[in-house]
Amino acid sequence: MIELNATLIAQILNFLILVVILRLVAYKPVARMLQQRSDKIQGDLDKAESDRKEAEATLVQYKQKLSDANVKAQEIIDKAEKVARDERDAAVEATKREIEQMKKNAEEDIQRDRERIAAQLRGEVVSLSLAAAGKLISKNIDNKENERLINDFINKLDKEKLGDLSC
Amino acid sequence: MHEIGVRETTRFLGLTFNTETILMTWLAMAIVIFVSCLAVRNLKAVPTGWQNFVEMIVVWLHGQIDSMMGKRGRLLAPFIVSLFLFLLTSNLIGLIPTLASPTNDLNTTLGLALLVVTIVHCLGLYYKGGHYIAHFFQPFAPFVVINMIEEIAKPITLAFRLFGNILAGEILIIVLLRLTENPFLMTLPSVAWLGFSIFISCVHAVIFTMLSMAYLGNALKDSNE
Repeated sequence: MIELNATLIAQILNFLILVVILRLVAYKPVARMLQQRSDKIQGDLDKAESDRKEAEATLVQYKQKLSDANVKAQEIIDKAEKVARDERDAAVEATKREIEQMKKNAEEDIQRDRERIAAQLRGEVVSLSLAAAGKLISKNIDNKENERLINDFINKLDKEKLGDLSC
Repeated sequence: MHEIGVRETTRFLGLTFNTETILMTWLAMAIVIFVSCLAVRNLKAVPTGWQNFVEMIVVWLHGQIDSMMGKRGRLLAPFIVSLFLFLLTSNLIGLIPTLASPTNDLNTTLGLALLVVTIVHCLGLYYKGGHYIAHFFQPFAPFVVINMIEEIAKPITLAFRLFGNILAGEILIIVLLRLTENPFLMTLPSVAWLGFSIFISCVHAVIFTMLSMAYLGNALKDSNE
């Protein structure tokens, strides 16, 4: 059973032939493929890493831009608010002035109306008084004297009564 | 094996060859080459089928080579991969009825063991020169005797371990089926033993390869590696 013969040499040669064939047929292609795959994976990983870094840089850039834009937008809003406030103040001022003007006009109108009405009233009072007085003293006084009396009366009336007449 | 312990021989050029061993070796070589060709026929970046199997073995052995044999180990990677695939196939084909393992013949195992040891010493001398010879005389000159015994024991243990395990496995498969008149009674023990033999076949292919790598590693590694 344990018998050494030329088979030993034959087996060594057989195995060496197998090594040579396998190396050519299988080992080299497989090892090359494994190397290529590992290179590819390494390359992909490197690329992924560089892409990630690039993406991070872009993100930082975008964040910076966004924050700049925010600042700028705030500036624009502040400016617009200031302009609006100024315009509103100006409008309020103008309106106040207008109201003041209108009030003044109204007062003047009132004053004018009061004077006009006072004059009218005075005329009426004079006419009535005169009519009443004329009936009483028609036979004593002639027209000329009458005119003088009326004017005296009116002047007196102007000075004493109409000065503080309230309408 | 038709009759345990008896081998048919052929005489060729005045030399005696064990016919069955040689034929089974060629069969094992053919299977290994066939499977390898299947694996590399259509190599793809995303592996499928046999490519997975062969790649798995190559990647695993590359890992072992790198850790056990240092940076020069890759030179011998084709040798190691071939050794493992050949031993695995050889051990397993003996489990198929009517076939026999080439490794059930001491000529095969001792041949491979001597080949490994020869490569170890050649590479040791090539890479380390005088230091390699000097290391047999470490730590003191008289230790050369013990070191020589160790060096001689290496191929012998390597060869007999594999040979004994594979031969015993095959003998027991035959014996179990002949124990009783009714072979059906022995179905379960036979199947169990067959399963165990498959395990043993794989384990001994690994052990032989690993020990060869360890011996080769000693010769290849720098002292500081």
